[in-house]
Amino acid sequence: MTTAAPPLIRQRVETSAARASQVWKVYGTGEAQVVALRGVDVELERGRFTAIMGPSGSGKSTLMHCLAGLDSVSRGQVFVGDTEVTGLNDAGLTRLRREKIGFIFQQFNLLPTLTAQENILLPLAIAGRKPDQEWFRTVIDTVGLGDRLGHRPNQLSGGQQQRVACARALVSRPEVVFADEPTGNLDSRSGAEVLGFLRRSVTEYGQTIVMVTHDAVAASYADRVIFLADGQIVAELTGPTPERVLDTLKSLDRPAQLGTEL
Amino acid sequence: MIKASLRGLLQRKLRLSLAVFAIVLSVAFLSGSLVLSDTLNARFTALFSTINQNVSVVVQAKDPQAVEPARLTDAQLRALSEVDGVKAFSPDVSAQGVIPFRGTDGEPVSADAALGFGVDGKDDPLGLVELREGRWPTAEGEVAITAHTAELAKVKRGDQLKVYLPVLNEPRSFTVVGVAGYSGGRDSLAGEVVVMFQQAFAQQTFYGATGLYGGASFAAEDGVSDDVLKQRIVEQLPDGFKALTGQESSEEQSAQVGVLFDVFKYILIGFAVVAGVVGVFLIFNTFNIIVAQRTRELALLRALGAGWGQVAGSVLLEALIVSLVGATVGLAAGIGVAAAGEAAITSEVALPSAGLVVAPLTVILAYLLGVVVTLVAAFVPAVRASSVPPVAAMRDVVRPDKSLTALSIVGAVFALPGIGLVLLGAFADLGGTAFLVLLGGAVLVFIGALLLSPLLARPIVRGLGALIGRGSAGNLGVRNAARNPRRTAVTAAAIIIGVTVIGMTATVVQSFKTSLEDIMGENIGVEVMIQASVTAAPDGRQGFNPKALEQVRAIPGVKEAAAWHFDALGVSVAGQPQAFGIFATDVGQAARMFPIDATDGTIRTLAAQELVLDDNIAETLKLKAGDRTPVAIGGVTRDYTVVGVYQATPIIQGILVGEAAVADFPGPLAFQGFVSLNDGVDAAPVVERIETIMKDYPGVQVGDRQSYVDQATASYDFLLIAVQILLLVALVIALLGILNTLVLSIVERTRELGLVRAVGLSRSGLVWMVTVESVLITVFGVLLGLALGVGLGAAFTKALMTLEFATVIAIPWLELGQYLLAAVVAGVLAAVIPARMAARLNVLDAISYE
Ligand SMILES: Nc1ncnc2c1ncn2[C@@H]1O[C@H](COP(=O)(O)OP(=O)(O)O)[C@@H](O)[C@H]1O
Ligand SMILES: [Mg+2]
Repeated sequence: MTTAAPPLIRQRVETSAARASQVWKVYGTGEAQVVALRGVDVELERGRFTAIMGPSGSGKSTLMHCLAGLDSVSRGQVFVGDTEVTGLNDAGLTRLRREKIGFIFQQFNLLPTLTAQENILLPLAIAGRKPDQEWFRTVIDTVGLGDRLGHRPNQLSGGQQQRVACARALVSRPEVVFADEPTGNLDSRSGAEVLGFLRRSVTEYGQTIVMVTHDAVAASYADRVIFLADGQIVAELTGPTPERVLDTLKSLDRPAQLGTEL
Repeated sequence: MIKASLRGLLQRKLRLSLAVFAIVLSVAFLSGSLVLSDTLNARFTALFSTINQNVSVVVQAKDPQAVEPARLTDAQLRALSEVDGVKAFSPDVSAQGVIPFRGTDGEPVSADAALGFGVDGKDDPLGLVELREGRWPTAEGEVAITAHTAELAKVKRGDQLKVYLPVLNEPRSFTVVGVAGYSGGRDSLAGEVVVMFQQAFAQQTFYGATGLYGGASFAAEDGVSDDVLKQRIVEQLPDGFKALTGQESSEEQSAQVGVLFDVFKYILIGFAVVAGVVGVFLIFNTFNIIVAQRTRELALLRALGAGWGQVAGSVLLEALIVSLVGATVGLAAGIGVAAAGEAAITSEVALPSAGLVVAPLTVILAYLLGVVVTLVAAFVPAVRASSVPPVAAMRDVVRPDKSLTALSIVGAVFALPGIGLVLLGAFADLGGTAFLVLLGGAVLVFIGALLLSPLLARPIVRGLGALIGRGSAGNLGVRNAARNPRRTAVTAAAIIIGVTVIGMTATVVQSFKTSLEDIMGENIGVEVMIQASVTAAPDGRQGFNPKALEQVRAIPGVKEAAAWHFDALGVSVAGQPQAFGIFATDVGQAARMFPIDATDGTIRTLAAQELVLDDNIAETLKLKAGDRTPVAIGGVTRDYTVVGVYQATPIIQGILVGEAAVADFPGPLAFQGFVSLNDGVDAAPVVERIETIMKDYPGVQVGDRQSYVDQATASYDFLLIAVQILLLVALVIALLGILNTLVLSIVERTRELGLVRAVGLSRSGLVWMVTVESVLITVFGVLLGLALGVGLGAAFTKALMTLEFATVIAIPWLELGQYLLAAVVAGVLAAVIPARMAARLNVLDAISYE
């Protein structure tokens, strides 16, 4: 792997923004053991918007956390860009998060003590990097927060807060942005604004985004949808529409899968 | 309801344990102090009971400290001894301060109690003292000593022993003819030194005439109770005497000795008070935060039908349990402290050991302190808990930061009049009342400042943050510290209290020292000081013989040597008692050696029945040059003429009379001596020669100018050290308070911590963030405390300057810097555990923390 990597693999490393290879994740031991991921192989292409879907408890969040280096894997390998995430120590993971990854969580994305602008620039401040003013302007304009930059999170609506979170995830131009149900707590209109903004950042600026969602409409903003069930990838769609996503979900929604959740 | 709060208690035990600790400290100091003093009392009572074991009745002078205490004559003693029911009696001829010199190096034996007795050559009729070898003294030049004394003085039977005789003011040599011990084979009762002289010699030396006794002890015949014998003796008792049963005498004596150990008691009680006050803030903060965290749970209880009283009650119940646990542990710790203290003290004074005395009152007070402190502290949080609306169970009720306006207005209402009073006390010439005004003002300013501290917290913390909060992690720490000014202020309150006290003390002490050094350095021509022991009775009965100064004057290089006599017992001028006493010296000589400026009349060598006094006293007594006024010294009242009034300075103040007045003083010994040298003479060798001359007067110290300053400031330094230890106690508790607050904040902000980690903050960054927050809280407290302390200290000094006790206000920058540094260290230490907690958080768990 170090010196004589076959050309094929090298090529794959270059084109994928993140990659999981035979990833297993097991929580707990003995009686309480839960297998959340069962040998997942997935590759997320650069400059694409990928959605991960599946029933509740199917392992979506776990997969995303493993890809992002927030959680360790039980077996297998994870790469972000050309960095192997599995096996990094805390310092390495910290550096990875600073340099290559952006996050958008379902809620509680912002520090209450900082203004919107300070929240957006926080990752750069932590990394000790100077913001690229032009890019910062572009991001701000795209999310449409120009007049709210001086406000604190508790002075912003839920949708505005999530847009601030998006801007923060994008401002450092990470290799990948991971979003775990970013619209889960929003009404449909605010949700649509946030999703539209994510879509534009992929189309116009070539950002790579991975988003976990259980909402078919949200998934339809993506280029590609991966379906998880019981810790395994069971289906995949490219160029999804809400209808096709719902059809696929229906075909997967079998009682057997519910059983494994309990 | 009770069950719910008990369960909650167990879940929060870690958090509450810090509150418990504050109670433990406070209660431990209090109960330690009480147990120690009770134990020592019991110990001394036991000791004196041994002394009085065969004594039924003791007859002694009513006022043994009087200038001329009452004495029994031979006839009176015989009359008493013939009282019906007296089986045996032992007359008392004794004096204190009878100090033997060591046979080996000629140094005085150091002992707290050094006693001389006169014995009549027969064995002790009451069987307390037993001769072990040799015989009792029967001639003037003979003594017997106790075995303990023999050991300390390194002499044996047949040796010569030099003994200092306080009334003769000089040492004499004696032959040791006997060695004695106490019944039960003891060498000493409590480490005392005892020399026994021939009775007639002792009477002559101690009392000035033979045939006199200080008192006597009597043993009753079988069948006659102590009380009955006492009653019979009282009927025969000469004026000026009192009779006590052996039991009463033991109690009285042990109470007198116990007073010596009161200083320990008060220091420990001081610690208990500081720990209690500081603990209130810690407990207040703990419960406040717990209530804030339990909002949901409390709201649920309310939604389920609990009344507000029940909710408040549940918090108070929790507080009560915490206080009981704290008081119990504190009591145990206090008993431990007392045991250690007792061991230290008894090893020092060679008392036999016995059990610890834990009085019921101690237990009651310990629990009372713990419970009161805790309930007072938990009261506001309990009320706050009861005001949680039931709807808060369903959703996050945004409780906006309560405005600080009301609090700040109340603070200003305290602070502004307080500042007014402080300024009044400092600048207006109010005489002695200035200190009352100042004290009142200081208390108001202090309370006001504590109430205003939340308002000050934000700007000060931000300002400080601009200095140390570099980098984004530091910046986040600054924001966290400034985020909840009430919490920051309450957390810092413990430090503010401690540092204000120390800052004030340090400023006053520094000003005193600097003033003294200023004056000593500039104006006076005195190079060498001779000083009676600080514990010497201030009445001329201890000190040195002024005749010794003749030898001093003969030392080459010595220009002048002045003896100062001092008497503070029963002195009154113009009918007013003078607690600060009266000095007798050659005033003309004093004016050459010290800067004494006349403001009225002249300052010159005084003849008999002439005096000069300082302007402050002159004003109080309404005296001016030329006035005649009655002066009572040593029980004799004479009319004196006021020759002059001089300006009081920190060095010279008070009433001065001429050397002729010494005849009226209770004793002829000089209290201080001052020596000036010719130009260019080195003081060191002179000091050495004077030391040799003064060796005959135990306790007299000789030193150069600097050592005089050092000695004069030593008592202030002692005060400062005591206060510094107090500060340490306050700092330890404050440190726990900060730790407590930080831990709670970290739990509250778990998701924020997860978030900053997720966006790339490293572990060390997180540690730095918590440390910055901690240090800012401590430094905020220290700065506010120092500002208050130095300000109040300066005001007190200003008032002292008006009274001529000081000349300058000096700010002890070095010490202040050290306190600041200590606070930074404390802040860093307090952050260690919380920072580790924060750094250990798993990023994912933290983010999804509910
Ligand atoms: N920290 C954990 N400990 C134990 N089991 C977990 C943990 N996190 C998730 N799981 C289990 O792993 C499975 C997948 O969870 P998750 O990835 O959160 O599913 P999804 O996001 O698709 O709803 C579930 O059965 C869940 O109960
Ligand atoms: Mg999930």
